[in-house]
Amino acid sequence: MARQPNWSPWQEVRRLQRDLEHLFERGNLAPRESEYPPVNVTHTPDGLIFVEVMCPGADKGTLELTVAGDTLTIKGERKPEEGVADTRYRRRQRPMGPFTRTMRLGDRIDTDAVQATYAHGILLVQLARVPEATPKRIAIRS
Amino acid sequence: MPTGPHDPGGSRLRDDEDARTVIPATDVFETETGFTIVADMPGVAPERLEVTTEGDALTIRGRVTRASRPPDHREFELADYAQTFTLTDDVDPARIRAALKDGVLRITVPKSATIQPRRIEIDPA
Repeated sequence: MARQPNWSPWQEVRRLQRDLEHLFERGNLAPRESEYPPVNVTHTPDGLIFVEVMCPGADKGTLELTVAGDTLTIKGERKPEEGVADTRYRRRQRPMGPFTRTMRLGDRIDTDAVQATYAHGILLVQLARVPEATPKRIAIRS
Repeated sequence: MPTGPHDPGGSRLRDDEDARTVIPATDVFETETGFTIVADMPGVAPERLEVTTEGDALTIRGRVTRASRPPDHREFELADYAQTFTLTDDVDPARIRAALKDGVLRITVPKSATIQPRRIEIDPA
């Protein structure tokens, strides 16, 4: 490969880093962010936003959603098995404890139009954008 | 009621014959009376879950249904689940019970009656 006059090894390193990031994005088993719980967000053309939250076994009484401005906060808790001593465990892989996830959705949210369901361990939140103010022509009085 | 982030008017869901299969995160603990297996299987509806035993193998299998359109921002992708456990010979496969709630499968595997402490009646002389 012919070297460009302004070739810099750091540029190559950065390019490699970008390529690696893309590679890991495609292998989507590992969450892109280490925050729990992981979320998927979809914006629809008609102004709705769907947030899917993967939080199996969350205690329904502890699940709490808050919307303010463009920010959605999800709180909940996975409670450990009651009355089972640590020494009884032969295998322990499931994360436990309280969790909080806050995300900015990029649009102002209509706080009156938030709906949520929790089914099969997936919390599905439907939100609606506040419609943009429509331009208004102002008549000028003489 | 939200129904999901699907294409408006488009095909809603697809059955994932080609979905990847992963091993679910699992806890296993032992009590006096048996073993309990708890597995995270988010996205699996009860009718798409299978728990089977064959010989000393206990197999769990769950299939997910995913949205037809990929999300704009993705941090997880639902995949089918499969895992096989080997039953020890001190358990009673006939009395295994399983329940699925909020994407969490819970299986109780009782120990055989012969293993559990038992009081022996004394025959009258």
